[in-house]
Amino acid sequence: MKSNKINSIMGMAFFGPALVLLTLFLFLPMLLTVIFSFTDFFALNPDLTHFVGLKNYSDIFKDELFTTAFWNTVKFVLIIVPAQTLGALGLALLINKATVCKKYFKVAFFIPVVMSLAVVSNLWMQIYSPEGILNTMLAQIGIEAQPFIYSAEQALPSIAIMSVWQGVGYQMIIFLGGLQAINPALYEAAEMDHASAWQQFKDITLPELKPLCVFVFITVTIGAFRMIVQPMVMTGGGPSHSTYTLVYDIYETGTVNWEIGLASAMAVIFVIFVIILTIIQSVLTKDKEAKSNAKK
Amino acid sequence: MRKNSIPRVILTVILFVMSLFFLFPVIWMLANSFKTDAAITADMNSLRAFVPPALNGSFFENYVTVIKNTDFIRYMLNTLFYAAILIVAGVIVNGLAGYALAKIKFPFRERWVLIIMMLMIVPSETIITINFLFVAKMGLLNTIFGYILPMIVNPFNIFLFRQVFVSLPDDVWEAAQLDFCNPVKYFFTMVLPMSKTVVATVSVFTFLGVWNDYLWPSLVFTSSDLLTAQIGLNSITSNDNTTMGQTLAVITMITIPVIIIYALFSKQIVEGVVSTGSKEG
Repeated sequence: MKSNKINSIMGMAFFGPALVLLTLFLFLPMLLTVIFSFTDFFALNPDLTHFVGLKNYSDIFKDELFTTAFWNTVKFVLIIVPAQTLGALGLALLINKATVCKKYFKVAFFIPVVMSLAVVSNLWMQIYSPEGILNTMLAQIGIEAQPFIYSAEQALPSIAIMSVWQGVGYQMIIFLGGLQAINPALYEAAEMDHASAWQQFKDITLPELKPLCVFVFITVTIGAFRMIVQPMVMTGGGPSHSTYTLVYDIYETGTVNWEIGLASAMAVIFVIFVIILTIIQSVLTKDKEAKSNAKK
Repeated sequence: MRKNSIPRVILTVILFVMSLFFLFPVIWMLANSFKTDAAITADMNSLRAFVPPALNGSFFENYVTVIKNTDFIRYMLNTLFYAAILIVAGVIVNGLAGYALAKIKFPFRERWVLIIMMLMIVPSETIITINFLFVAKMGLLNTIFGYILPMIVNPFNIFLFRQVFVSLPDDVWEAAQLDFCNPVKYFFTMVLPMSKTVVATVSVFTFLGVWNDYLWPSLVFTSSDLLTAQIGLNSITSNDNTTMGQTLAVITMITIPVIIIYALFSKQIVEGVVSTGSKEG
């Protein structure tokens, strides 16, 4: 009895500081976001706040800028997710097979990951510039100068490619960890059966990596949906809103236009979306584990 | 086994060429941060674009100009200072919480673990506006407190600590209680020293997070005295007088600390990254 009481007090003493901060800066903001999303709260005039029901939510889907931002974000996701997931898997497979300089390769492909979004964005603004190094290199192989981030058509893919360049090393390391965790006995058995390299990949590597593939796929997707700093620094969302993203819209609506009600509704939709993706991921990986347990 | 060796050599060569192409932006940044704009443009057409200029008196010209004419060193020192505070505060607050969730049987513990795991999903961008309003309401804009307070607690770090502390032996905690050893003292003198790896991992990720953070400091800080390096970078590059070479020098300077940290702690970083993947399941 006494030790129960001690445990409660000790538990709260240890967990308390974190709990206070969590409440102030996570629970409360989350709760307020949901509440504000049903109001027309305007931060410059908080006294005139009314309950407006679902009006913000219906307004969002009529809002042209939000729709643009949504489709831009989808385009980012459609470029970044396949390129980054497959790129990371490919690099990990190659590096795992390499015999020398393994360490160098890991470092080389990981360096952009530790660089900041602002640094990478500033660097690639120079690289993408009309008279920049990339256009000079293209000229060497006979391709005419491209506008890259200065045209509405090319800005989004240019930023997407840069983001893949920066991020791919992270998932590569995750895949390498997964590859090293595969039991080598599986490959030895396959060698005895004279299985080809492709068969080994298809029947051992891929099934063993499947939960990790799902994890990487979903985390890259969520990451791509969170795109904001790169367009903010490089293009300010332009040209003509071609790189304006969902999170950028939430940010501008909230902290530039001060329409907290509207921004909150956008944030709620965004979080629900992220939660759905996370649930899909856990269902897909759970399914896999259940099967592999059944086999044992 | 023997038949594999020739494809492996080719594979290594291919990987090496790929890595050079992959790193060309970084190599270009470094090499040209030592050049005048005229030299950068002149070198662009040849491989000299990826080679630093000859070492002479004006080799560090861009760096010297930036350090002399802007407050960039100050921004870097500010950021180092914030990172130091956040590492200490973060290890204490998240570490204590992780320990409670791992070892102390207090009411609703399992439920809290679940809640912490769910909080890891919420993207910080979605609550940044409310936190900004909140910090503004408390009158903490443009203060170190306003910047730091919301950043201390981190559900992911709590979870990371908990995962490590769960596997610590129980009897040490019981013995400590019998000895009437102060539990907080016990945490600092026994638990943390026994878990150096996770402390290092959390510290390194906190440093990288603070050093590279963009959105939150750009909202909280408008006064130039308190700016972090990333935000200071913005004010420098948006100045029309800043040359291309100077921009490259600034972003190289920002990158040097993270490269040093990466070189020193690559093991912890890789472990931390792999743990985000393997915690699934």
